[in-house]
Amino acid sequence: MGMADPSLEVVKQAGQNVLRLSGHWTLAHLPSVAVLPSIPVGPLMVDGSDLTGLDPSGAHRLIAMLRQSGIRMENVQTRAMPSKAAQVWALVADRVRLTEGAESARPQGLLYQIGLGTAESWQHFMGVTNFIGRVVTEWLGLFRRPGAFRLKEFTAQMEGVFVYAIPIVFAMIFLLGVVFAYLLGVQAQKFGANIFVVDGVAAAILREISPVIVAILIAGRSGAAMTAQLGTMKVNEEIDALSVLGLSPYVVLVLPRILALLLAMPLLVFVGDVAGLLGGMLVANAQLGIEYSQFWDRLDSVLKMKTLLIGLGKAPVFAVFIGLIACRMGLTVSRDARSVGVNTTSTVVQSIVAVIVLNALFAVAFSDIGI
Amino acid sequence: MGEPVIEVEDIVTRLGGALIHDGVNLRVQRGEVTALIGGSGTGKSVLLKEIIGLLKPQAGTIRLFGEDVWNASESGLMALRRRFGVLFQDGALFSSLNVEQNVALPLMEHTRLPPDECHELARLKIVLSGLPISAGLKMPSELSGGMRKRAALARALALDPELLFLDEPTSGLDPISARAFDRLIRLLSDSLGLTVFLVTHDLDTLLAMVDRIIVLAHGKVLGQGTVEDLRKIDDPWLRDYFSARYSEEHA
Repeated sequence: MGMADPSLEVVKQAGQNVLRLSGHWTLAHLPSVAVLPSIPVGPLMVDGSDLTGLDPSGAHRLIAMLRQSGIRMENVQTRAMPSKAAQVWALVADRVRLTEGAESARPQGLLYQIGLGTAESWQHFMGVTNFIGRVVTEWLGLFRRPGAFRLKEFTAQMEGVFVYAIPIVFAMIFLLGVVFAYLLGVQAQKFGANIFVVDGVAAAILREISPVIVAILIAGRSGAAMTAQLGTMKVNEEIDALSVLGLSPYVVLVLPRILALLLAMPLLVFVGDVAGLLGGMLVANAQLGIEYSQFWDRLDSVLKMKTLLIGLGKAPVFAVFIGLIACRMGLTVSRDARSVGVNTTSTVVQSIVAVIVLNALFAVAFSDIGI
Repeated sequence: MGEPVIEVEDIVTRLGGALIHDGVNLRVQRGEVTALIGGSGTGKSVLLKEIIGLLKPQAGTIRLFGEDVWNASESGLMALRRRFGVLFQDGALFSSLNVEQNVALPLMEHTRLPPDECHELARLKIVLSGLPISAGLKMPSELSGGMRKRAALARALALDPELLFLDEPTSGLDPISARAFDRLIRLLSDSLGLTVFLVTHDLDTLLAMVDRIIVLAHGKVLGQGTVEDLRKIDDPWLRDYFSARYSEEHA
């Protein structure tokens, strides 16, 4: 580089201040720190006879230096610049004043944040209400025109939400059954109450673990997928296209998804029940020496139908919440890629929170009415 | 002058079994504004992708500034990429960054300048592209189509490239914005000494700002020159392409 490095000097010629430029004043050659020479305020002649290159970044650096030294651009003249450099200089000098007045976004005060938060919460609430209203209306509409129901979309969703989820649900709840039976077994052994492991495993898996864990799995697996898919369709204007073609996006996209979740969730919870009991059975046999037939007999005598039904009954409620959250977040994506990511994350968080809160409400409600 | 900036020699491209290019040859000189035209499916955008090093042709050589794009080392290709800017058809602005951050990004990555100066330079590029300075704080999703193109142009100009590629710069713009964009490109090309290579369908762009047109058809370069030169070529697609405008102007 050497020769090409940009440099400048201030000289006095015939009573006039002259800024002599030399070398390559281009982005690739600009030193990272600006060296500010002392330039007397007043008329200045910029001499470009030794200039070998000037690009907008170089011109911007020079002009910024002059302005920092308090030199007004009206007092600056140029001479002997190569013609290309003169054009670049003129363009940048002309436009650089337009860059003023740009302020970075200031962080807003507390009051602003509270106001914004309130307004957004209100809008969210109204949005949710509106969405639920739309879904219910469209649903009722389907009873009048059953032919409008999208069976193909529904079966495709069932395949994705239910069939492909069976292995993961089975594996997860099986492992939880193993762990739960093992930990319970350690305690039960101390009291010589080995057989009560069966009571504990059955109640915990069927009533709490299977419905909640399946719901959380499905929120992460299918809920996220639904938001991402609907969101990308929104970005792509496919949702608008459906509306324009006279098809309701709710009937075509939302209802089949919610319905698929509604049907798939209890089925998956049942798969989880079986898997969890199997896991418990294996551990009870290996750790506590309870024969499979013993486990089975005990299960038959202590497991009440209502325990199973409570677990299965919670599943559709979780399903509806996950479906509503996932579809609403999908349809409220704004037209950019970042928004798809934000809404997908939000779906998973909202769904999991909803599932856990609902489960707590169920627990309180069931104990209040004594079941 | 007269130094070739883009040299494309004997390019052959097959995509999914279809022969797209069957020996394409073209050259672009420094300081020239050159347009590539051709019917749909003639592989204009594919050729552009090959020139900027995003898609490898099956055969042939592409040289930018005399350097072979497809045989350059990784660092050589990086150095080459700093010398050209690309304006993608829909802008391809990063949606999680505001306009100023979009434009400052290449400066922050590829120069040793302090962040403040990178942002000042970004603001200069934003006003050079004809956007009001207040647009710098907007997110890409808040911009209209025309503003999006200008913001993308500002990002393409961030590293003061010598060569600018434009993919359908006026598509999706209304005629008034499109002509204003043409004038802007011409102004920048003249005053910054930019070499510009654009793919376009817009006949008005060709008439308003282009020095030379290259026509791609049947996998080869069908002809090149000014609008007048091309009108002499006997090709059904070219005839249709120019006929509407010609009858209008010479009526």
